[in-house]
Amino acid sequence: MAVRRLRKQPASLEVTAFINLIVVLVPFLLSTAVFTRLSVLELSLPAQSSGVEQLKVDDLKLEVVIRPDALEVGDRIGGLIQRIPNGAAGPDTKALAALVLALKQRFPDTRSATVLASPETPYDVLVQVMDAVRATYRAAGAELVHTELFPDISIGDAPVAQRR
Amino acid sequence: MKLTPLQKRAERRARNQSHVDMNLVALIDIFTILIFFLLSSATGVEILPSHKAVKLPYSTAEAAPHETVVVTVSAEDILVDGRVVATVDEVMAAEGDLIAPLQAELERLRTQRKVIREENEAASRAVTVMGDRQIPYRLLRKVMYTAARADFTDVSFAVIRKYEAS
Repeated sequence: MAVRRLRKQPASLEVTAFINLIVVLVPFLLSTAVFTRLSVLELSLPAQSSGVEQLKVDDLKLEVVIRPDALEVGDRIGGLIQRIPNGAAGPDTKALAALVLALKQRFPDTRSATVLASPETPYDVLVQVMDAVRATYRAAGAELVHTELFPDISIGDAPVAQRR
Repeated sequence: MKLTPLQKRAERRARNQSHVDMNLVALIDIFTILIFFLLSSATGVEILPSHKAVKLPYSTAEAAPHETVVVTVSAEDILVDGRVVATVDEVMAAEGDLIAPLQAELERLRTQRKVIREENEAASRAVTVMGDRQIPYRLLRKVMYTAARADFTDVSFAVIRKYEAS
């Protein structure tokens, strides 16, 4: 005897409306998406009412002078600490970061620093130098470990004469 | 072998049915994941406006932007909250550090924005400078000096966040 078997049709979903929605939504969201995350770099300006500062002997007043051909790291009282000549691609911020890290270990309580720029210094270089002085980042696995160095940065004009 | 009419019918049906069923499962998967990703990344409210003409510098700074007065310095113009107040050429040509139209505009904004609570006094003095990568420090200094003269003492620079070990 012949067995009557019902041939089952495969179940099919009606997804056309869903795909329509997605096809419209994806280009719309892609066009509005922002892939650059903005942040801000805070500046510390000297307070208006601050009087003459008392200069202490064993206190670091870190100053980084941006010259066209070099970075000069110095102390306002103690004078020039090190002169970092420019690399092939602008200022050597890696060397600056290493030097500033060593200085931070000698003066762990100091938080302020001054970056002095000459009139023709590009804004980009200024920001890079501020970055190197502000904090250092070390790769530990997939994470970046952040060490704060001198986060209170003021900026000013570089003295005209080169210090020797 | 003899088929019953019902079996014949089923066979005919199977033969005549054209199978042009596209397999869209993978496509839908991808699109669904993309939609969730884009929706979650689009929820961040944009505080700083973005201009195509201004290429911000890259920095590792982490502080989130606040809602402040925004002074944009592009290669050609200086804008305060989207309105052009001065051109870079005439500012660079001018002697002295004060940019008079910028100061006037900032002072106008300062009187317009009244603070209600004492605690917000500091926030009303904040200004965010969005400067192009290429502008010289001389121009930046003029902008900052003018902002300080207009009683905006809290200056911050807008930058594009980068993730990089130094």
